[in-house]
Amino acid sequence: MEDKEKKIESLHLKLIPYFEKYGILLLLVLMILVMHILQPDVFLSWRNVTNVFKQISWQSMLALGVFMVIVTAGIDLSVGSIMMLSLMILAVVAKAGAPWFIVVLTPLIAGFLCGLFNGLGITLLRMPHPFIMTLGTLYIFRGAGNLISGGTPISGFTDEVRYLGHGRIDLQWLGLEKSQYLPVSLVLIAIVYIIFWIFLNKSKTGKWIYAIGGNPNAARASGINVNKILIIVYSLCGFLSGIGALILAGRTDSGYPNAGLQSELDAIAACIIGGASFFGGRGTVLGVFAGVMIMGILRNGLNLMDVSSFWQQVLIGSIIVLAVYIDVLRRDIGTRK
Amino acid sequence: MKNLTKIISVIITSVFLLASFSTGAFAGKKILFSIKGPGSGNPFWASVEKGAKEEAAKLGVDLVLVAPPQEGDVQAQINQVEDQLAKGVDAIALAPGDPNAFAPIVDDAIKSGVPVVFVDTKGINEGVTFIGTNNMNGAELAAKFICDKTPKGSDVAILTGIESQSTALLRRDGAIKGFKNCGLNIVATQTAEWDTAKGRSVTESIILKNPNIKAIFASNDNMGLGAMQALKDADMNDVVVVGFDATPDAATSILKGEMTATIAQFSYNMGAYGVKYALELANGGSIDPNIDTGTQLVTKDNANDFK
Repeated sequence: MEDKEKKIESLHLKLIPYFEKYGILLLLVLMILVMHILQPDVFLSWRNVTNVFKQISWQSMLALGVFMVIVTAGIDLSVGSIMMLSLMILAVVAKAGAPWFIVVLTPLIAGFLCGLFNGLGITLLRMPHPFIMTLGTLYIFRGAGNLISGGTPISGFTDEVRYLGHGRIDLQWLGLEKSQYLPVSLVLIAIVYIIFWIFLNKSKTGKWIYAIGGNPNAARASGINVNKILIIVYSLCGFLSGIGALILAGRTDSGYPNAGLQSELDAIAACIIGGASFFGGRGTVLGVFAGVMIMGILRNGLNLMDVSSFWQQVLIGSIIVLAVYIDVLRRDIGTRK
Repeated sequence: MKNLTKIISVIITSVFLLASFSTGAFAGKKILFSIKGPGSGNPFWASVEKGAKEEAAKLGVDLVLVAPPQEGDVQAQINQVEDQLAKGVDAIALAPGDPNAFAPIVDDAIKSGVPVVFVDTKGINEGVTFIGTNNMNGAELAAKFICDKTPKGSDVAILTGIESQSTALLRRDGAIKGFKNCGLNIVATQTAEWDTAKGRSVTESIILKNPNIKAIFASNDNMGLGAMQALKDADMNDVVVVGFDATPDAATSILKGEMTATIAQFSYNMGAYGVKYALELANGGSIDPNIDTGTQLVTKDNANDFK
């Protein structure tokens, strides 16, 4: 009797790490199944699946940046504004007639500099919490974006500039129809996420980022330059927001003042759903991706079912609470006995 | 683990429950009506919604009406339209939250054989019919009314909407044209972004700098009501305030003798015409590039109809 119980228990213990790692994917697969059952003709159609990826493309960049910041037990509230400012700078530079390769670089540089500004502010000005610095820059960057553009949209970019957000990879050579193309933004998501997975898991800096969030004092004691790592993390977060701006420029062909309004909250929500912890040191790149997908699929699925957007707000809020509750239960199982 | 299965089953049931909210299929043409903001938050959109629904019922159209959670959430509105296009519709009536951001989607829809009409806000896509108020004429009507109420050469101010929207620009330009034609002196033209609170604070600074102001044209009633609050606070009760939209709140204010007048748009017509003309295009017909839904001056005499 006792032996059997022990066996089951050890099986549980063995499963826990997998559950910890892939539990959120389970929720994602479940959602896809439910949506497919509810909308069998449309949901998994080529057009709708590519729609979902196009719709999450820029959000996924913001979420990845915010995720790294959250791993260090910080927060970045300014990503939506960084994206808007980078987008406006891109638009102004494009309108001034700069060649496309310069236009494409501007949002990346602008985003990086905004992030650097955040990082320097947090470390040099010794802000009590990144919340305060990035709350400040949330207003500063959006205001700056409105100043340089005069608060009006600037539209019309060349195809090269729009490639990442609007480009299509033709798959007719695979025998598919012309409408069954691969959005460039999907490929971009894959590349960026793989690079950052390698960076966070394989590089020394990546491991330090986790160490800082897990236990900053221990990290400091073991000789890690915490401030330097924080500056790198916030700069990369800004850089990713810059990529988001470039994607959005392609998607909408327009730099518009409302871009990225409140999208910092979406990004934080995706990280939390994906299993990141506000106390830092926890979470995976795969989890963030699942979090972004869950939010994207939820919105898309509810749109397809003609559910009012007020219900969507209620449901997304519920999913956040639910996902974190599952996480709490998960850790209960892990720490039992 | 037991808890987990419970939770998962709760999710599934709730999603199924939600699905049962979605409407059944009609036999007629399927028309997507995408509005900028939710009807429950704004009587203007509520009346567009009513017009669209009643016309759809009359014509036997399968109407899908979608709105983002808040006005100005352009990305959410774009996603809604894309998702419905993936599902398949015969025509779209669209009130774009941002005409520039919507341009590529409208182009794609037309290319894939789904005709589009713009409602309320004109898009930038060429050759697409616009159904809505002639905002310039409406604002000019308001300006003319102010001219009749104030002595020649008086100081006047204009509160404008979000200046990235053509509606805001047309109303501003219409008012400027009207004021200039009758020789009024425009001392300020400032945006209050369609917002009551901003309308109040912008007005507060305008009247501080221009105490002799005789009239204010607010490009929508919300801003007009905000301006009214600022004027009341400063005891400047004889300043003429004219709004735009004829919301129930504005009508009540006019009846109370606070705001002087407003311009009525026939938002119900926008909903109804949107459905009617989108259906005509879906059936292969052709329509005029500009369809005016009309404007009318609302004063104490007729404000009761708009309460």
